[in-house]
Amino acid sequence: MRVFLIGAGQVGTTIVEALHEDHEITVLDTEGSRLQALTSRFDVAVFEGNGTSRKDLSAAGIGRADLVIACTSRDEVNIVAGMFSRREAEKATTVIRTSSSEYVELWREGQLDVDFVVSSELETAYAISRILGVPAARQTDVFADGQVQVGEFDVDENASADVVGVPLRNASLPSDSKVAAIIRGDGMILPRGDEELLHGDRVVIIGSPAAAKAWSALLWPEGGTVRDVVIYGAGRVGSAIARVLREQGLSVRMVEAEREQARRVAEAFPDVRVFNASGFDPDFLERERIGQAQAGIFAMRDDAKNQYAASLASVHGIPFTIAIAHEAVSISAFEQAGIDVSVNPRAVTAEEIVRFAHDPRMQQVAMLEGNRYEVLDVTTRETSRYIGMSFRDMPVHGSLIGAIVRNGQAIFPHGDDVLEAGDRVIIFTEAANAPWVVEAL
Amino acid sequence: MTPGTARIGRPHRIAIDLWASLELIGSLGKYLGLAAALPIAVALWYGEPIWPYVVAGAITSGFGFALERLAARPGNRVGIREGFLVVSMTWLLAAAFACIPYLLAGGDQLSHPVDAYFEGMSGFTTTGATVVTDFDDLDRSLAMWRQFTQWLGGMGIIVLAIAVLPRLRVGGRQLMESELPGPEIGTLSERIRSTARRLWLLYVLLTAAEALALSAIGWLGYDDRMTPYEAIAHAFTTLPTGGFSTQARSIEAFSAASQWVIAVFIILAGANFALMYRAILRRRPQVFVRDEEFRLYVALIAAATVFLTAQLWAYGLAEGEEAVRTGLFQVVTIMTSTGYATTDFALWPILPILTLFALMFVGGSAGSTSGGIKIVRHLLLGKILRREIDQTLSAELVMPVRLNRTPVDEKTLRAVAAFVLLYIGLWVVGAAVIAVEVAAFTNVELSAFEPLAISASAIGNVGPAFGVTGPMGSYAPLGDASKITMIVLMWAGRLEILPVVVLLTRHYWRL
Repeated sequence: MRVFLIGAGQVGTTIVEALHEDHEITVLDTEGSRLQALTSRFDVAVFEGNGTSRKDLSAAGIGRADLVIACTSRDEVNIVAGMFSRREAEKATTVIRTSSSEYVELWREGQLDVDFVVSSELETAYAISRILGVPAARQTDVFADGQVQVGEFDVDENASADVVGVPLRNASLPSDSKVAAIIRGDGMILPRGDEELLHGDRVVIIGSPAAAKAWSALLWPEGGTVRDVVIYGAGRVGSAIARVLREQGLSVRMVEAEREQARRVAEAFPDVRVFNASGFDPDFLERERIGQAQAGIFAMRDDAKNQYAASLASVHGIPFTIAIAHEAVSISAFEQAGIDVSVNPRAVTAEEIVRFAHDPRMQQVAMLEGNRYEVLDVTTRETSRYIGMSFRDMPVHGSLIGAIVRNGQAIFPHGDDVLEAGDRVIIFTEAANAPWVVEAL
Repeated sequence: MTPGTARIGRPHRIAIDLWASLELIGSLGKYLGLAAALPIAVALWYGEPIWPYVVAGAITSGFGFALERLAARPGNRVGIREGFLVVSMTWLLAAAFACIPYLLAGGDQLSHPVDAYFEGMSGFTTTGATVVTDFDDLDRSLAMWRQFTQWLGGMGIIVLAIAVLPRLRVGGRQLMESELPGPEIGTLSERIRSTARRLWLLYVLLTAAEALALSAIGWLGYDDRMTPYEAIAHAFTTLPTGGFSTQARSIEAFSAASQWVIAVFIILAGANFALMYRAILRRRPQVFVRDEEFRLYVALIAAATVFLTAQLWAYGLAEGEEAVRTGLFQVVTIMTSTGYATTDFALWPILPILTLFALMFVGGSAGSTSGGIKIVRHLLLGKILRREIDQTLSAELVMPVRLNRTPVDEKTLRAVAAFVLLYIGLWVVGAAVIAVEVAAFTNVELSAFEPLAISASAIGNVGPAFGVTGPMGSYAPLGDASKITMIVLMWAGRLEILPVVVLLTRHYWRL
């Protein structure tokens, strides 16, 4: 597939990273230095030019593209580029990134002439809402309209003794779920029934949403259900998170240092208590009982502030902390600092956009452990040699089927179940194996 | 001389464009004089002398015309600053216009200039306080002129001018906001002129509806005294929440059926006209239910009526339908600052009197013709206080104050608080002046409470107070200083204080 990418920033780079091996990519950006950095790492064509110039787009060869992705950090550039792409590359799928929920609304109403609009803020908010649903998970993704959930969990000292050190086949595990992989050290194990979970492992679970919650409860019995959160930072990301969580009926408090911003968000959300405070003042934290919230979400613009605020909130008693990491490097720093979950909006956005580049049979993909593993959602072909084969007899090639969707219903298969043509398969695989897996199904 | 000084020129000391203001005031006065046409028609109909109205109209129009001509300067422009002066002065001028026929045809009881001007200001500001003691002595045309001044003042003479005169389109919004009651005018249209037209259209329609309803009661024989003349006269003073009556006994002179009809129209007159326009003429009655102010307005009327009716019943003053009717009528007439009465409530015991006194401070809805503090300000003040209390506990809490779910900006909230404080301040000062004058220079018997009630009644544009100045009494016994104080209070109260008070600041006039 020919992919035409406008914008070589963090999102663009992440997309290139995920797609460069299987696709022919052209990247356009105004800054030569960024393009240089890109060509030194990946085999892609680059073009220095302006995404809002039809001449530049045309000269860079947008007309030959199958997929156009406009992912600069500026909404206006992306929209204009998307418009030109409609004219210059009529058969291409056009995806644009936006940071405004207003444009997402417009697109849903059919007012914006592009195929897909991906909002970093909204995707981040959805990611956080999924994490709150299964607080023990480091990362979660949903497939098949939310019927199948994929979660990555740490097995640490919190984990219930019922599952640690017991062969999986003897352990009482939540039904409708499957341990897709155990990541131990640098290696990955596709578990058989005699495998055991150990402290320090990381497990990938594929199951129903209820099963994902049950796993969360097993691996972190005190985690409970989050009903009450505090959000630091009322910018675009913070506001999007507040909106999504309010829609789910959670009680939300917000802390924002900037007066105007605080006022705006207080006006937008009548039932959110908004505080105009830095959130670093111990008196304030004590007086407002911030520590009694079940979860703290740190969505300020500055990673360093997010890290400090999260640590301070932990000291004051917040049991579960989620921090936004605007820089990819902050993720490991946050982990070091004891923050429970980090979310990088650009990575979330890139992941969402990458989904459009896959095989048409493949609806969705989730990336785990920084692109080392993927979970794919693939529709089987009639000609696949696995049709009619029971799951017990399937070979293990660095991949494992976690669930199938048949006639719109999710099934979590047992050894005797048989794969049928037209089934959608939710499959965990090493990223390197992904093309082969898609081919084989 | 350096080249610079020539261009810099002499310093300008005056901050407002006086000529532009005077020109506009003159222009308004010129048209205002035409209002004399109505009493002229009435006088012709009843064979009474027309010359007092011809003179009044000629003086007013002539003065306006001359002022407009003399003040005309190229480049005259009325901006925000000039608007305050124009509105305030136009109302002083209107009251002067109204008092000319009183001086010429009012006989002894209105011959004193202060009394005549008091009656004129009470008319245009829709207060309804009167110095007339002998109503039978007034010509029918003069009595109708009293009623008509209230009708003109109710929806506002400047709003009327904006609606019909082409010249006021520029700068009209600010002029209109100074004159329309309430902190927000709930605009019906982007264009100020069509808003003004719609408000006046509804006002005219409601007035006509009441006149017809009352006439029908007369024709059907439910009220012998309700002639078409009386129906029109009282429709003219119900819709502006005015309160002047052609009868010494006010609405007590009419039957129960008439009283019920008038009570209903008083309630309508105290509701937001922009809201009613949408509900009635646009057929969206649900806007009433959604409006927080309207809900509170209705709830207050209901609660106060129950409270007062129970008192009347308990004191044995009335019972059955009469108690409910008397309770409701007195509640709505005082609360919306109308000032009619169906009984001499000045004779009541102290608790029902205090109930009415408290209602004087409530007022009707914003965007109605009523006076007083107004429901929406009470509502917002309550919310401001609620927020203050919440913020004592959590200093960092950001709480926008909402009205009908929409955040209200802080400037409006400060203006509401400032208005209420100014209102209370003026009320107290006015009461003090009246108390001192009455005690030191007249032999009128007033209780300690009555100066407070008189001042509240004047600034709230209600009309009657208690004691000798009750609904069946008059303000004639008070001294000139008290009457002038009341004139100022009525004037400031009608224009919602701020346009009048800014004129008293040095920075309004000087740079």
